[in-house]
Amino acid sequence: MNKEEFLRALRDRLSGLPEADMEERIIFYREMIEDRMEDGFSEEEAVAQIGPVEDIVSQIMSEIPLTRIVKERVKPRRKLKTWEIVLLILGFPLWFPLLISAFAVLLSLYITVWSVLICIYAADLSLAAGAACGIFGIFLWLRAGNPAGAVFGAGAALTCAGLAILLFFACIWLTRGLIRGTGRILTGLKTSLVGKGNDYE
Amino acid sequence: MDIQLKRGLLDVCVLAAIRDKDSYGYQIIKDMKPYLVLSESTLYTILKRLESAAMLTVNSIEHEGRLRKYYHITDKGVARLEEFKEDWKEILAIHQFIFREESSYE
Repeated sequence: MNKEEFLRALRDRLSGLPEADMEERIIFYREMIEDRMEDGFSEEEAVAQIGPVEDIVSQIMSEIPLTRIVKERVKPRRKLKTWEIVLLILGFPLWFPLLISAFAVLLSLYITVWSVLICIYAADLSLAAGAACGIFGIFLWLRAGNPAGAVFGAGAALTCAGLAILLFFACIWLTRGLIRGTGRILTGLKTSLVGKGNDYE
Repeated sequence: MDIQLKRGLLDVCVLAAIRDKDSYGYQIIKDMKPYLVLSESTLYTILKRLESAAMLTVNSIEHEGRLRKYYHITDKGVARLEEFKEDWKEILAIHQFIFREESSYE
């Protein structure tokens, strides 16, 4: 990748950032590449040393708060015409509830995912309780003079305990995945908001 | 190294890199290389932060037919470096406290 290709790729991916902010970053990276070339590296080497555009973009995204990106994104690129303002106001009873419900649907989807996880935790807890009951059962059956029942109780307790332990590790793994996934969705959201900022110009 | 600790140190490192003489991005990275590896995007963020804290100023100076940004430390930046000297004494004291058990085993 040469210098101009690199800078163009960076510009495309950052086009949703405030204009001045984006330009300043481009100037910074241009200087970095040019200084490396002056230092004796070839153009390709200089670009390679800066690192992949993807990495730079994801680092920038993780540093900029989502609210700032949305604010820039929502800001109209030109002045609204009078009829557009009238339409916006008249349409308010329509678009506002729609917007709220779209947001609510997304939020409930996210909550649902977490609820499933909580259910699995509950199942795990029940298995643990089952194991405890099985052990308690052993004594009851022994007292009742029923050794076969006691063996059954021990078996059930062991099975429950084994499943509970396995499920517990699965729960931990799922929770970690979900937290990591949430972070990735946020970064993805920011990237997609910033990446195609020019589509309504 | 712990990220939070490193972030605080990096600000001071960059100030130290421009303390004696105004410097530019690539030169700062090169000067710091023997001590720590600093990526371009990290440096950009630090420079921005220091600029908005008025610890450095930026001058675009022509070089080989193009503009290059030189970073100049302000009095406030110098004061921050001095302050860090004091901070460091505190950190050393804390370090001593943290590892006091270890040394008594020896």
